[in-house]
Amino acid sequence: MKRRALCLAALMSSTLMVPVFAADVPEGTKLAQDQTFTYRVLDEFSSFDPQVVEDTYGSEIVRDLFEGLYNQDANGNNVPGVALSHEVSDDNMTYTFKLRKDAKWSDGKPVTAGDFVYAWQRAVDPELASPYAWYMELMSIANGAEIIAGEKPITDLGVSATDDHTLVVNLSQPLPYFDKMVSHATTFPSPKWAIDAHGAEWTRPGNLVSNGAYVLTEHVPKERSVREINTNYWNADDTVLEKVVTLVIGDDAQGLTRFRAGEVDKTDIPAGQYPALKDEFPQEAYALPRLCNYYFTFNLDSGPEAFKDVRVRQALAYAIDRNVIVDQVLQGGQFPAYTFTPAATANFEVPSVDYAGMTQAERDEKAKALLEEAGYGEGGKELSFSYLYNTNEAHQQVAIVATQMWKQKLGINVTLENQEWKVFLENRGAQNFEMARGAWCGDYNEASTFLDLLTTPSGYNDGKFTNARLDELMVEAKSSQDTQPLYTEVEQILADEMPVIPIYHYSTNMMLNASIQGWPVDNVEQTWYSKDLFKVAAE
Amino acid sequence: MLNYTLRRLFTVIPILLVLIIFSFYLMRLAPGGPFTSERPLPAAVMANVLERYGLDEPLHVQLWTYIKNIVFHFDFGPSFSQKDRTVNDVIAQGFPVTLTYGFWSAVFVLVCGVPLGVIAALRHNSFWDYTMTGLAIFSQIFPNFVLAPLMVLLFTLSWGLLPGGGWNGGQWQYVIMPAVALGTSYMAGVARLTRGSMLEVLGSPFIRTARAKGLPERTIIIRHALKPALLPTLTYMGPVFVYMITGSVFIDVFFSTGGIGQDFIDGAYSRDYSILLGLAILYSVLTFTLTLLLDLLYAWIDPKVRSNM
Repeated sequence: MKRRALCLAALMSSTLMVPVFAADVPEGTKLAQDQTFTYRVLDEFSSFDPQVVEDTYGSEIVRDLFEGLYNQDANGNNVPGVALSHEVSDDNMTYTFKLRKDAKWSDGKPVTAGDFVYAWQRAVDPELASPYAWYMELMSIANGAEIIAGEKPITDLGVSATDDHTLVVNLSQPLPYFDKMVSHATTFPSPKWAIDAHGAEWTRPGNLVSNGAYVLTEHVPKERSVREINTNYWNADDTVLEKVVTLVIGDDAQGLTRFRAGEVDKTDIPAGQYPALKDEFPQEAYALPRLCNYYFTFNLDSGPEAFKDVRVRQALAYAIDRNVIVDQVLQGGQFPAYTFTPAATANFEVPSVDYAGMTQAERDEKAKALLEEAGYGEGGKELSFSYLYNTNEAHQQVAIVATQMWKQKLGINVTLENQEWKVFLENRGAQNFEMARGAWCGDYNEASTFLDLLTTPSGYNDGKFTNARLDELMVEAKSSQDTQPLYTEVEQILADEMPVIPIYHYSTNMMLNASIQGWPVDNVEQTWYSKDLFKVAAE
Repeated sequence: MLNYTLRRLFTVIPILLVLIIFSFYLMRLAPGGPFTSERPLPAAVMANVLERYGLDEPLHVQLWTYIKNIVFHFDFGPSFSQKDRTVNDVIAQGFPVTLTYGFWSAVFVLVCGVPLGVIAALRHNSFWDYTMTGLAIFSQIFPNFVLAPLMVLLFTLSWGLLPGGGWNGGQWQYVIMPAVALGTSYMAGVARLTRGSMLEVLGSPFIRTARAKGLPERTIIIRHALKPALLPTLTYMGPVFVYMITGSVFIDVFFSTGGIGQDFIDGAYSRDYSILLGLAILYSVLTFTLTLLLDLLYAWIDPKVRSNM
């Protein structure tokens, strides 16, 4: 049961009756007078339009301004948002969501199933042309792909409202994790009347009508945005933070300076500074697991001939001492990786692949033997290639350390090459590399968001790895109720074939003012909602 | 002089046109595009996006549409990275910010630089002269990317006097550090230039004549010496002023002012062609206008120039 320390007794009696998922303030907490939370973002938001937004910072704001079918709790599990519950048909192809009746837009209109239908049709509408239409495609909503391709009208989308509070979704194929995907910004409802009235300018403060816990009250692009509590929100009485301010600060070090000056409550930690800051601010420096991986990818398509030999790939993977990279180079609480999927992923048990269990000395031994067997290394052919990464200090450090390990242990010469982000993407996507850096952050909290990347049809399989069995398993996983054995086999194939070298799994490094409480530290997607936070008074 | 001004105004049109065409093609030479992303968009989604922004047309058609929209609608196109805004919105929001601190920075440069130079020249080879020259050299070796963090360290972290960044509608507390950090090294330059040319003018025959006539020293300095002595400073300040009001990328990023300098950087990284092109046009129009104004100012100060117009 939730307990709240706000003194209004009448309010308490009403909140105790139904389970609520708002700021969970422990009894006896002294809240600060000024419930304003100010945090730093790196750059300007791509949009406040839920169907258009594509960046992390923008999504954070959109999650506060709008509310979708489900929200996530502190552990990343679904909790009711506009939807109270859902039912799934026996063939797993139809989802029926029951919506709450007390949900309102900030202008007082009720939130209806029709608002979701409108929004979802909008997301795939070729006329709006949102880059995030791909997300709707990923959700396998019936006719989504055809509508995007312009072959069917948007009204054919597999989503309908049987009444104001019932939303029915038809899928084109069963998707066991479909309900996990509806806490994403692209699926939030949008207010047709406001969009019709203001057109492209509907997301400006004053024009923006939203159904989330906050409304947008100020926006100075590239400088600040302010959102304030939405009194029409169904759970406004349990929302504690009154005002949330973002400041755009493009420079990491400057973000930290302004954190020190007390101008922001939250900022990212500049690369490499976590240990020092943890000493200085033990209560405020955080390193949290994050749903992202970091790996090196072999170009198996047009890369060096040697990469086609699995023994060479394994040797290179074994010879990297991941503990050195994580503990001595990055020092930000990252996790050494031997599998492609991070351990933090929901419903995923990390399989015990062979080389993860060895000591580094054993791995080095094995690496030398494998390389020799393949005819390279000492006494054999010389192996040299280039490694491509996008320009960034941390990537450079990882590259230097890893290639140095290869040189010392295996006598391999690697040339380092770095390129600006878009140039890098273009070249990596066109297989203009020998070995390249890769990284991925999960779109949703399920292993397929990672493992799908290495299937043959994947648009992100830049190394052009192909394995028929793996493709088969991933197709099977789409409709399976018990995915763990399938994913275990996929990871096993990856460890045997080694098309990519997993290096580490990311962590989020941030400074968070000790007065801000309720942060979902265990949510690996870092999906946070201002309505769950509160600010305690200084002692 | 009106004739001269009109002639100059007409030459700007072909220059701008060449600039637009050149930048338009140059930008597209860079690998990647505005919608290149880590997760490549599915072909159908990409096709819709490109069509919406007209990027599926051949380049020369895109260019023609672009120029047409500017000429007939004064519309510089949509921003690809800030999807809720047009380039007009972005510039309308960012330029006033940059203009404000750029203007105060220029005021700081002139108000501090010119008197420093004049005093140094008048007290030639004295303690004052050496102090001023020393100070000028000292500030000139502090580029803004060294000075700005230093100022934040002192004024924000140590003494808590000024906010470490932001803009807040342009309140004076937020303007001081960007303006001073941006201007200091130019201020030093102006002081040294003024000192040099003042010394030269003070040694010239017409000043000797003035002195022989028995004019008071104050009149000699202010009415006769200062005007010609400021000519080199003016020449120097023209481009510097354009640079200041169009935004220093560093100052905008470091102090998070929200000025257009930030857009230059972001636009380049995100391949936001329309933002970059819009800013390039703004930059050149400003350069042109200010150099024209400067030339007219020259004519007003120097009769020799006037007769040549």
